[in-house]
Amino acid sequence: MQTLHSSQSVRPFKLRKSFATRLEEVAGIRAKFPTKIPVIVERYQKEKYLPLLDKTKFLVPQELTMTQFITIIRSRMALNATQAFYLLVNNKSLASMSLTLAEVYRDYKDEDGFVYMTYASQEMFGCLLPTAQGKLMECLLKT
Amino acid sequence: MRGRFGSLHGGEMVKSLGWGAPGLWRGPWRDSPDRDAAGAQVMGGPGCPGLAELREPPQPSVAGSGFSLRAKYGKRLCFPGNARALASWPRHPENTVGARPAFSMNSVSPASVQYVSQDELRHSDGRKLFNPRAGSQDGSCNGLFPGGAQSGQPSEPDEVDKIKNKLLSAWNNVKYGWTVKTKTNFSKLSPIYLFGHVYCFEVEEDVERFQKDFASRIWLTYRREFQQLEGTLWTTDCGWGCMLRSGQMILAQGLLMHFLGRNWTWPDASFTASLVEMDPMKPVSPARPESTSLQQLPALAVDRGRNPWGIWAPLRPLSPQELEKERSHRSIVSWFADHPRAPFGIHRLVELGRSSGKKAGDWYGPSIAAHIVRKAVEGCLEASGLAVYVSQDCTVYKGDVARLVSGSDGRTVPDPGARRKAVIILVPMRLGGETLNPVYVDCVKELLKLELCIGIIGGKPKHSLYFVGYQDDFLLYLDPHYCQPFVDTTKENFPLESFHCSSPRKMAFSKMDPSCTIGFYARDGQELDTLCSELTRVLKSSSAKEKYPMFTVTEGQAQEYGLAELCSRFSQQAVQLPKRSKAKKASSDEFVFL
Repeated sequence: MQTLHSSQSVRPFKLRKSFATRLEEVAGIRAKFPTKIPVIVERYQKEKYLPLLDKTKFLVPQELTMTQFITIIRSRMALNATQAFYLLVNNKSLASMSLTLAEVYRDYKDEDGFVYMTYASQEMFGCLLPTAQGKLMECLLKT
Repeated sequence: MRGRFGSLHGGEMVKSLGWGAPGLWRGPWRDSPDRDAAGAQVMGGPGCPGLAELREPPQPSVAGSGFSLRAKYGKRLCFPGNARALASWPRHPENTVGARPAFSMNSVSPASVQYVSQDELRHSDGRKLFNPRAGSQDGSCNGLFPGGAQSGQPSEPDEVDKIKNKLLSAWNNVKYGWTVKTKTNFSKLSPIYLFGHVYCFEVEEDVERFQKDFASRIWLTYRREFQQLEGTLWTTDCGWGCMLRSGQMILAQGLLMHFLGRNWTWPDASFTASLVEMDPMKPVSPARPESTSLQQLPALAVDRGRNPWGIWAPLRPLSPQELEKERSHRSIVSWFADHPRAPFGIHRLVELGRSSGKKAGDWYGPSIAAHIVRKAVEGCLEASGLAVYVSQDCTVYKGDVARLVSGSDGRTVPDPGARRKAVIILVPMRLGGETLNPVYVDCVKELLKLELCIGIIGGKPKHSLYFVGYQDDFLLYLDPHYCQPFVDTTKENFPLESFHCSSPRKMAFSKMDPSCTIGFYARDGQELDTLCSELTRVLKSSSAKEKYPMFTVTEGQAQEYGLAELCSRFSQQAVQLPKRSKAKKASSDEFVFL
């Protein structure tokens, strides 16, 4: 669970591109590949353990199941089986692995035509110290 | 109340720190003079040297030291391991200002007094763990590492010791703050669920049954002064081991289910049933609730004055069956001893965490904790009739569970002679990004209602808790953030009290961290079938409008989904899009074709 080198944050796709550009991009790609789903996969902004994916935009066969999709993403990041990895859509965990991408797209398609997924591992737990002001701060405890 | 139990100042001080009715705590220790001194410190009553002196003008130096320490340490406020349990201080606000106290229990944490004797402060905390000078000079964390820290300066030892002791008693006040807070209020009207058992506090027997049930759960907390963790200077897990402790607790509950059954209760478990308060909204008695409880306390103190814990009823003779169960209970507790040879002790768990890249002093997550628990059970002869399954990607594959319980290692055909195992199923989840997605709350509740559920390890952000049940919109939990000294479980009749907690606490669902691991237990194939169908029902029904359940239970085995081949089939190279009119893309901007 080493903290990965690629901790630099990347501006979210939505902020990098205007709505019009995104709309146009989806229209273009959907026209060429009507059976493929345009998916944006981004790292959760506060993720500390998972690496940054080299790519953000995926064009996925619509019949692909979530199990398959997650496995592909996992393997792109070279994660082992016990490493916690969750794909969130709309702040929900995509736990129904038999769902196809087409179904997810139908339910969670953004108005620009992409479906946005965020990946995250799990938070870690340790202690907090309260300050006099009642604010919480982390206890720095590295050997 | 003040007149009797605390000076105006003391009372206010305590209040300002967010504690309730400190005076209550005087009762149980009246009979023993040495405890009394310590007790007073914890309470901040009139005889409280720690708090009283801290705030009184004649000793400005002490108060000054206290604050300057805070200022100097700044972000690295590093006190001895156990003092870091200070984290507990401002918690449970929802409890202190309960809406309407329909029912309340005395939140007794037995050790609050037991471990705060002057003697110990000086020798163990004062000398070994705590070094105000070293700290104020370089702000380092040396004090945290027993053995690594320099001892206090030999010159002017009296003054230093005095100040140290005063500071430490003040720290202990803060540190044990949560134990001083006396009440957690539960609604009388709503049902309260504890590991699938339901209680309603309107019925008086239910209150008692609930308390007995709750106090029978195994409570594992931070410990200090145990044998060094291998290859480190750590002799405590205070400040970092809370998730491992929660992991131990969920396993302990699984083991209780396995060896003793859900209905077992600890015969020695006792509680403070006499402190049930009248509902203030229904003043049937002229006595105000406050004075009622205060009057009752001295009686308690007399009853249990001999017992340092102050809460445990005297032993009664046990039947042979009960004795047998008691032996099992003791064995289970001893497996969690903080000793390298204990199969589920902190030493073993830290060692098993290495393969996940964790080491002593690191913070752990609920998923890592689940895998550590799995590995610990795998290699444990004592629990050879038990297996642990940890799901991946929120999916429980029934085929994989079946293979695991069949006793075979997989791959080959199950050995018909192999003994069928019971199973603990752990499902690590992430129920939202930043915060818990409220759509899951109903489902969490439904799952906690299942008798085969062994709770949830998670917490509030950065602060691990073991969730054991719920009432209304509050989760009930056991909190590992309480630093207790090592208990040698190899001694016959070692004290069990510090492994049980009599004070249920609650926390709003909205505060729950989205990262967690939920656990279930199934003794045999039949129970496993029941469990799977129950899970399917709950996960489906609570998500009827919501197609995206917390997790899923699926037929078959993960392998059948042929994911390995799939990965190789989908090549990883990005496909260059055919040139588009306004193509001016950076390389990361191309679509990856899957």
